[in-house]
Amino acid sequence: MTRFILRRLGEGAISILGASLIVFVISRLSGDPVVLMLPPDAPASSVQALRQTLGLDQPFVIQYGMFLTRALHGDFGQSYRWQMPALRLILERLPATVQLAVAGLCFSLCVAVPVGVFSAVNHGGWIDRMGRIFAMLGQAMPAFWVGLLLILTFAIQLEWLPAFGYGGINHLVLPAIALGWYPVAAMTRIVRSAMLDVLNTDHIRLARALGIPERLIIWKYAFRNAAVPLLTMLGVYFAAMLGGSFVVEVIFAWPGVGRTVVEAVFSRDFPVVQAGVLSASVMFVLANLLVDLSYGFVDPRIRDER
Amino acid sequence: MLSRRAFAAGLPTLAALGIGPALAQGSDTLTVALGAESTTLDPTVAAAGVDYYMINDLFEQMLRPDPGGQRINWLAESWTVGGAPDKPIIDITLREGVLFHDNTPLTSADFEFAYQLMGDPKHARNVHQQADVEAFEIVDPRRFRLHFKQPDALYLALNFTLWAVPKKYYEQVGREGFNKAPIGTGPWKFVSRSVHEELRLEAFEGYWNKAHRPRVKNLVIKVIPEDLTRVAAFKTGAVDWIDAVPPSMLSDFAKLPGVSTRTVASGNNLFLNLAADLPNSPLKDVRVRRAVALAVDMDAIIKKVLFGQGERYSELVSGEPGYDPTLTPYPYDPKQARELLRDAGYPNGFDVICYNLTTPREPSMKEMGEAEFAYLSQVGIRCRTQQLEYGAWITTGLRNPTGPRMDGIISWMSGHGVPPDPGSAWAGQIHTYMPNAGWGGYSFSADPELDALVEQQRRILDPEQRAAVLNKIAHLKHERVLGGITTYRPLVTFAWRTDKVDWTPWPAGYWRTFQEVALKA
Amino acid sequence: MSVSIATPGPRLLGRLRLALGLRGVPWIALLVLLLVLICAAGGEAIAPNDPNDLDLGAAFRPPVFELGGSFATPLGTDNLGRDLLSRIMGGARVSVIVAFYAIILSGSIGALAGMASGYFGGMIDTLIMRLVEIQQSVPSVALALILAAALSPGLTTVIVVIALTYWAWYARIIRGEVLSLKTRDYVAYARVAGVGTATIFLRHLLPNILNTLLVLATLQVGQVILFEASLSFLGLGVQQPDVSWGLMLSDARQYITHAWWPITMPGLAIMLTCLSANIVGDWLRDRLDPHLRQL
Repeated sequence: MTRFILRRLGEGAISILGASLIVFVISRLSGDPVVLMLPPDAPASSVQALRQTLGLDQPFVIQYGMFLTRALHGDFGQSYRWQMPALRLILERLPATVQLAVAGLCFSLCVAVPVGVFSAVNHGGWIDRMGRIFAMLGQAMPAFWVGLLLILTFAIQLEWLPAFGYGGINHLVLPAIALGWYPVAAMTRIVRSAMLDVLNTDHIRLARALGIPERLIIWKYAFRNAAVPLLTMLGVYFAAMLGGSFVVEVIFAWPGVGRTVVEAVFSRDFPVVQAGVLSASVMFVLANLLVDLSYGFVDPRIRDER
Repeated sequence: MLSRRAFAAGLPTLAALGIGPALAQGSDTLTVALGAESTTLDPTVAAAGVDYYMINDLFEQMLRPDPGGQRINWLAESWTVGGAPDKPIIDITLREGVLFHDNTPLTSADFEFAYQLMGDPKHARNVHQQADVEAFEIVDPRRFRLHFKQPDALYLALNFTLWAVPKKYYEQVGREGFNKAPIGTGPWKFVSRSVHEELRLEAFEGYWNKAHRPRVKNLVIKVIPEDLTRVAAFKTGAVDWIDAVPPSMLSDFAKLPGVSTRTVASGNNLFLNLAADLPNSPLKDVRVRRAVALAVDMDAIIKKVLFGQGERYSELVSGEPGYDPTLTPYPYDPKQARELLRDAGYPNGFDVICYNLTTPREPSMKEMGEAEFAYLSQVGIRCRTQQLEYGAWITTGLRNPTGPRMDGIISWMSGHGVPPDPGSAWAGQIHTYMPNAGWGGYSFSADPELDALVEQQRRILDPEQRAAVLNKIAHLKHERVLGGITTYRPLVTFAWRTDKVDWTPWPAGYWRTFQEVALKA
Repeated sequence: MSVSIATPGPRLLGRLRLALGLRGVPWIALLVLLLVLICAAGGEAIAPNDPNDLDLGAAFRPPVFELGGSFATPLGTDNLGRDLLSRIMGGARVSVIVAFYAIILSGSIGALAGMASGYFGGMIDTLIMRLVEIQQSVPSVALALILAAALSPGLTTVIVVIALTYWAWYARIIRGEVLSLKTRDYVAYARVAGVGTATIFLRHLLPNILNTLLVLATLQVGQVILFEASLSFLGLGVQQPDVSWGLMLSDARQYITHAWWPITMPGLAIMLTCLSANIVGDWLRDRLDPHLRQL
């Protein structure tokens, strides 16, 4: 088991390294941050001086080497825009993103589980059909549009909830709904098909024959089975939330990593882009590792694959 | 549950914010919301205009405009200009009794320290502003002299550029330490800052200016870049003062009871920059450039797209040296524009690339550009619009020694500052591009007569003489349609609750200083 | 295939019910997609107005069913007076172009990579799968943003960016398919007989994965449209004068208190198109390759 974990960790580390190289190269192709940092009437000598101070006049390979050595010590350099360490800027924003991702996941579960279960129980009936249509709608609406509509309805027309920003729990509701909207369809499908499989098994029929109340059968016996594939996918969905948070954070002015990275891309703030993307990569890889681990627990064959 | 644990992790930050209905904030705390924030709290490092939003609360310079807009002595008690006419010396005597927030006195050594920092290319970004000062001479702790190697009119326009920073403290804590806990001479003292969220300040007891000072103990500046949130925060009473009321919501604000607004020019000047120095471009012909100027109905665009929150100007703005009210903006005359094009040899118009900025550095800048280019297309100047986000726009609009250059029309901006002075802007937009001398950083004109005049005005310290030269430049620029076609100045509106806040707005650039503000009981 | 003959009356209801379900042909969804394709093909010729025609005097005109609306601009106008209906039709064209080229591009790259990976195994397999993992460890939006900033935004860039983001998904699945195909007898015989690799790819592998590819492609349409909308919304996707639904939403955002229709209409267009694409995709999958249900 430990060998499996170590091997996956090693592969994850290589992935992160590769990701850092790709992001490094591409972001440096995206433009010159120095002209953005100086006033337009700065003479060429100032531009050159600043470029040297930031080390941007060195060839790529050397720049990457310097970046890597410093990064391994936790130093991602100073943000070009904010005069503070890039990593600190990202880490300060991390709790907000994690909070949003978790809230989004909770919302998805709160919708997907009941809809999926009742769809399965009501297999073929109108609840089933409505449930599936509703879930499909979720997959067809872009998260940012959902966010805008929610703002329009709940914050502007009805004035029940705040429009944007970070604050109490009431600030979290709308962004969480916008973010958690998309995976509802897939989650519902998983729950539904898992429930369907279980509900047809002999031991459920036996339970029914024994006179155990239907509600108990559904929730205590059948759902437990359906929960397994769902739980194993939670890691993947959490990672997807982290990725999807970028646009939602921009709409709701949520001070998270996603919004910071978007801003940094626009202002060519390379250190922050690097730190932000790599933090997200680390979380992705960890989330996937957790998923694989749980698969590994469940299915020993996967452990010894490859 | 997972979510509860995650919430707990975020609680400390939540508590620090407290955006919610404004109840017991304490009658000694004023909460305001800004639409943008400073990227640094260190005035020796700052370069962007937005940096001064917060820096002005904590730091001061030797001069400053008064509420009427006239430049008055601030940290400097008096100053004289002496020395040879081509090598002037400014002799400055500092005010007595000015203290830093750590209660140490302000001395000449502190300004010398600022001069060294701001002239060091490894430290500062506006190094070229100190380029003409060749020596800093300390006479005594309250008096020093700036020796210039040549006259520099901009130095005065920029309030002598230098900021009062405490030398001992800065050397003690270093640059990063200073940015984390800055100390200056301003009316507000630093308490704490959370980037993207808020800045907390406390009124400085030992502030030197007893006549004009804040009478509120605490100031909390929230940073809310999203228009709707800022407005919502104001409406719910979470904050009692906001800046940058969105133009589309101004009519709503006018109807709110107990709310005052104040609309002023933001200090930014927008214009259309034309590639007039390209040999093969139709824009090298002054008739074509004039056609461009006549083709756009700026008044209609400002009214519809900006909801009236823009002010037309022609070369110079009111209050600037050399301003001439008889020099009015180009009229809207599409018929004349078409005739001019025909005269210039383009009866069927021509195609040109039009670069537009999509990032809203000013409200609705993208839409304004699109509207302007649509008008051009109507007279035959067929715009092939290229949308650029900020980074690409800067790279396109700035001249550079290598690489591609702007080859059409670009909507650009260069603030004249507040109080307005065209020196810095015109150095960049009118003078022929000369990278090593720092001229023409975004200029696509090459007119030797204008070049000579621009260089001349830079070296004249006498305000009347300089005003005459600036006036001449303005007229020539307008006639020859060089250095860009002025479009508009964005207006910015502040709103506050009159029943809670007693605020005296100081002129532009310093409104966000809250120099004189009090809470009504 | 159970196709009901079109007869009016009670059968109509039954057919509608079937169309909404996953059994039977999803007529409505196919109709919507057809409409979108017509808009895309017809372009400016069939739109009532020029999508980029400014009319400042007509700014913020509401849809025809509200007070102040007009039949000239049935869905209303945006902040610069441009007709929403024409812009939505223009956006349809962009969505179709982007979806078409991006899916073909990413499908080709992904299929090639997947086939090579599955067939050759060994170092090539490890290398390609490592690339896939690296790709998937970067959040797709972040990667797309950085790429778009580097390649300077526009229609072509969006296509390239989306293709580079999604190829990995195809590669993984195709690799799985090829791995199982490799074990089939006829492939083994072909190798033994010394048939060239290219021929094996073209004659034996490709035809068998074509079904899967087709299903994958149609399943992707919805995702690609949403992704393009997100990129354009953030400002690094399609740029004016090209019209994109995502771009329309981004423009309308600041006037959300002023007018509800510039926000709602393009969003509805996105939703209906994606929904139809998803329904048709699911239906195709059920018909052609049900074992892909796990996706």
